Amino acid sequence: MAVPALRGSVSFLRQSFTIASKDLRAELRTKEALNASVAFALVILLLFSFAFEPTEVETRQISGGLLWLVFAFAGALILNRSFARELANDCLDALVAAPISGAALFLGKAVANLALLVAVELVCLPVFGVFYNVPWTLQFWPLMLVVLLGTWGLTVVGTMFSALTVNLRLRELMLPMLVYPIMVPGLLAAVQLTTPLVMGQPLAADLMPWLRLLVAFDVIFTALALALVETVLVR
Amino acid sequence: MRPKIMLAMTGIAALLLARNLYVILQVLPDEEHQNAAYRIMFFHVPDAWTAFLCFLAGMIASVLYLAKNDLRYDGFAASITEVGLAFGAANLVTGMIWGRVIWGVWWAWDVRLTTMLVGCLIYAGYLMLRRAVEEPGERAKMSAVVSIFAFADVPIIFFSIRWWQHQQHPEPAKLPPEWWAALFMNWIPLLLLAGVLLMLRMEQERIQRQVDGLRRTIHAF
Amino acid sequence: MDTRNFTFLCYGLVAAWLILCAYVVTLAARERKLQRELERLRLLVEEKEHTG
Repeated sequence: MAVPALRGSVSFLRQSFTIASKDLRAELRTKEALNASVAFALVILLLFSFAFEPTEVETRQISGGLLWLVFAFAGALILNRSFARELANDCLDALVAAPISGAALFLGKAVANLALLVAVELVCLPVFGVFYNVPWTLQFWPLMLVVLLGTWGLTVVGTMFSALTVNLRLRELMLPMLVYPIMVPGLLAAVQLTTPLVMGQPLAADLMPWLRLLVAFDVIFTALALALVETVLVR
Repeated sequence: MRPKIMLAMTGIAALLLARNLYVILQVLPDEEHQNAAYRIMFFHVPDAWTAFLCFLAGMIASVLYLAKNDLRYDGFAASITEVGLAFGAANLVTGMIWGRVIWGVWWAWDVRLTTMLVGCLIYAGYLMLRRAVEEPGERAKMSAVVSIFAFADVPIIFFSIRWWQHQQHPEPAKLPPEWWAALFMNWIPLLLLAGVLLMLRMEQERIQRQVDGLRRTIHAF
Repeated sequence: MDTRNFTFLCYGLVAAWLILCAYVVTLAARERKLQRELERLRLLVEEKEHTG
């Protein structure tokens, strides 16, 4: 009795993996969104430096907010393209009609977006360290964990709303408008975790509530998205 | 029949408001630190209660729409979310004015106000999304999903901001019992008014559905 | 009662009710627009039924 369930979930994962690798291959071929996203992120880092002229000490204190604002803005570019890419040649209709569940399609795209976003962030972090003269690798692996968890939250909500807004005229405007307010708790938790980690504090007991909040945020919205994405995609 | 109900509700609400205003202004004594200004709380707090009740009802209606595929649930969800947004805006403005009096600043990142602000932003996005979609079925589905995400997020937003910030909102537990009575007494007329606004708005949704139907007939010719 | 705080109280109450009134006004305006649209469409349908 466990075997069909296991087989079902394996095929679900295989479908998601197929979608994810398709998206990644398509993106890596042209690297359009990747390049635009990285360039945009670097420009924002530069602009913040001009706008606020923070000293090294100040930068360390605002590092979490700075980094996650950059990640959120640059991420919107990638997330927007996620479903918009499929509009040409009716690819989206073909995907929805294909014998894979909406949830598998969503998961595949979300994983691909996660990979792309994390790639952008891994480029941003050293640049941030150089521009602002901040050593950020003191708690490298905990920081990577927080980056991964926070980016997953952003990706899940962003991919969901990318699917929702794909057919709208004002897609580029509606996506950030919907995603950012919903992301407030996730971004807040990520920022509250990133700043101490960049400053070199370990992931200790006083940071645990924020980590738990971030994980809870990720779990709740992943579940909601997987449950509701089918209704959004089927027309 | 319905206009009579709406008129009756408005009438009762007006009477209750008049009575409450008398109680609030004359009967209740001045508070030590805030003198007269604390009385704004009797509108500020029920505004928030009404807004959240509306958002909750909107989410339930959205779930019902997804389950039953009846556009009337969508009409209800849209209407009550809009009414909730109006009360939310009233809550924000009274909160800012109250904050100006007791804290000296127009905005202090207090937990409840900030949560209401983020909530209102999300629901404003909900209304903007509705305006951007022409087809009624599509619009209903998308709005339902946003409404569910939005309301699921509201408690998370509240807890996250509470952990984050330092300033204290006057704790409700410390309020004297006469105040609680006045708060609830003032909530009733606000709920009645919300009901009237909801009925007005739902009537418009019904007309909108007729308009959509006629448009489809014309295109079929 | 402290006059200054009483002024703020008035501002607060007026502001709250103004917002609700503004909402009622927008509702009324939207209702008029919808009724006009409904009439226009009804006439269009009748025309098409007569010619078609």
